[in-house]
Amino acid sequence: MRPVQILLADDHEVVRKGLRALLEAQPGWKVIAEAVDGREAVEKSRELRPDVAIVDIGMPCLNGLEATRQIVKKAPRTRVLVLTMHDTNPLIQQVVKAGARGYVLKSDVASDLVSAVEALCRDQTLFTSKVSQIILDRYVGKAEGVENSPDEDSPLTPREREVVQLLAEGKSSKEVASVLRISVKTAETHRINLMRKLDCHSVAEVVRYAVRNLIAEA
Amino acid sequence: MAVKILIADDHEIVRQGIRRVLEAKSDWEICGEAANGQEAVRMAQELSPDVIIMDVTMPVMSGFEAADEISRLPLSSRVLFFTMHDSGSMAGSARRSGARGYVVKSRAAEDLIQALERLLTGGTFFETNSFTH
Repeated sequence: MRPVQILLADDHEVVRKGLRALLEAQPGWKVIAEAVDGREAVEKSRELRPDVAIVDIGMPCLNGLEATRQIVKKAPRTRVLVLTMHDTNPLIQQVVKAGARGYVLKSDVASDLVSAVEALCRDQTLFTSKVSQIILDRYVGKAEGVENSPDEDSPLTPREREVVQLLAEGKSSKEVASVLRISVKTAETHRINLMRKLDCHSVAEVVRYAVRNLIAEA
Repeated sequence: MAVKILIADDHEIVRQGIRRVLEAKSDWEICGEAANGQEAVRMAQELSPDVIIMDVTMPVMSGFEAADEISRLPLSSRVLFFTMHDSGSMAGSARRSGARGYVVKSRAAEDLIQALERLLTGGTFFETNSFTH
């Protein structure tokens, strides 16, 4: 087995410990970095260029889907494997569209993770359970050549989606500005724009939008 | 005499992570792993663990129900709940099903050992939504 450098992104340390134990039992596989949220996952992927980034879909600050999109853009040789609690069709489609090469259910990860990482390293995509080859072919075909365009179904820009998640996590405009390293005025402008686009009149409505569109967890 | 701990969680990866966390205590032995509440009750009867780390949300039978059943058995096993959520009602639900405390998943790596030590000396651990860091 060839050496593989892996980044682990999950907000639960107990899960990261379990994943690390599984992965480092394979000769030559090394977890070179851990991240507790999507933003850290993106930064470390960009800096360290791991072969594989294992990303939990539900992370605070920047969720796994957005992190996947950004990692695919900023560290193109890093292959992203997404971990999730559910495998509903809409979610799978989003994961594929975001550019992940693989998807593993958390309930099956102990048995499936090693073979999933192996498949990714052999340059194959791997999706466990429920995903048929037909769906995969359709979406992979569609994604080719349009990697850098924003999610077609969303009326919001990627930056606005980031702001939605942070607002849904209860952050004020000031805190949003601090996390995104923009001015408070710019954060406010994003908030006003996205609320107008979504026709939301309160933060509670923004939260509902976020949960329904998998930007934040309930 | 080695301390016996039973881990009940439906995610194998979480059970492995807990094992890793507890490796630091050489005189603590993981006597078994259960993947749902029913298995937890059965294994508790078989193995008589000192403490059971019990995930709250499990298929077949939830952690609450399992803890409730275990409290009715002639066992001295103490239950420590393991949960995603840290709500005000968690403490009440935990106490009502006979558990001696709960640990929130996001803080499991830091809190587990302390929580288990408390339970093993007859105490409780209900302070997860605290100011400590």
